[in-house]
Amino acid sequence: MQPASSTLLICRDCDTVHRAITLETANVAYCSSCNAVLARRHSRDVSHVLAITIAAAILFAIASATPVLAIEFGAIRTQANVWTAALSLASGWAVWAAVALALATFLVPLLQIGLLLWVLSFASAGRRAPAFRIALVALHWLRPWSMTEVFLLGALVTIVKLSAWVHIVPGEGLWALGGLTILLAMLSRYEPRAWWEFAEHPQ
Amino acid sequence: MNAKPMQAAACGLIACRTCGLILPLAMRDGRCTRCTSRVNARIPRSAERTLAWLIAGMLLYLPANLLPVMHTSGVQGSQESTILGGVLSFWQAGAWDIAVLIFIASVAIPVSKFIALGLMLWTVRQGSAWGTPQRTKLYRVVDFIGYWSMLDVVVVAITSALLQFKAFGTAEPRLGILFFCLVVVTTMLAAKSFDPRLIWDASRDND
Repeated sequence: MQPASSTLLICRDCDTVHRAITLETANVAYCSSCNAVLARRHSRDVSHVLAITIAAAILFAIASATPVLAIEFGAIRTQANVWTAALSLASGWAVWAAVALALATFLVPLLQIGLLLWVLSFASAGRRAPAFRIALVALHWLRPWSMTEVFLLGALVTIVKLSAWVHIVPGEGLWALGGLTILLAMLSRYEPRAWWEFAEHPQ
Repeated sequence: MNAKPMQAAACGLIACRTCGLILPLAMRDGRCTRCTSRVNARIPRSAERTLAWLIAGMLLYLPANLLPVMHTSGVQGSQESTILGGVLSFWQAGAWDIAVLIFIASVAIPVSKFIALGLMLWTVRQGSAWGTPQRTKLYRVVDFIGYWSMLDVVVVAITSALLQFKAFGTAEPRLGILFFCLVVVTTMLAAKSFDPRLIWDASRDND
């Protein structure tokens, strides 16, 4: 239907037109003018990507439901995860910082995983998901605002920062967050074009 | 293998920035046939929008640094700390690695984003052909590192969630953290508004 899109590639960063070539597994095509990544060779197996997404959903649930870090001092115990961290900023005008943090570390990753599950589970059944277009456009706009890995680094910094004064315990959530960061990085290697072609033509 | 690189606009083509579909140039200012996003040959008013977000970010960066981001109280008394004050106290406590990390995320990244985006806007306006691939690379770095500046916001948030012991110590956020958050958002929007193809247009015009 669109023969041009399958034989040509246009660099996002410098507008140079390239003729598409067939990539070997794990190969990456770079723009000859500006060295931007043009295309990657992906697994064309929907069930493989769906499996990564399901694993990410499980780790996301664990990271949101369990403590990432905890402190015990006498009989009192406090804990932090993406939820309690965002809530702790909610005082006075800083509440807007709490909203931003909750969006970047909870809502945006949740939507990303949810939308991918939606699109890919239909694709694995050989069908185009309802609201497919809206889901993919949303995934494109959500991508820059997903900050799970920043939260992970923040948690590690806090361990070092507070461990001089208090006994700080890493919780299950910290390991879940570490795994989630790796899985989200694997999923983010798929550029938008790949999702469209992937879900429109499974296999 | 191939001759002089061809520019999509010169070939009568545009690529949708949302889904990557290649369309005829005649469809510019219309909607993509696949994802229905607006398609343009270049991001509309890219330089003006980038400059506006950049100025907003630079203005917000002042209160972000001058106002305290966190209030801590404990057995040693209570204190309000700014971002640079926090870096300094880590350094003095011997945690130089954490001091460097927070300095990079909260000071070096935003300031280098201001400088890099300002440099790109200025060279594009001048029609400069100097270091075109290098400036494109710089744009990609700026676009990629921006969100790591959220690090200090995360650290303040986790610390405030954990340090809630009346007998030992408490931490709570202060207004500076909101301004810092806004700096991250505005500089990310500045980078997203900038169209890196402008760098190439300027050097092509000079051919």
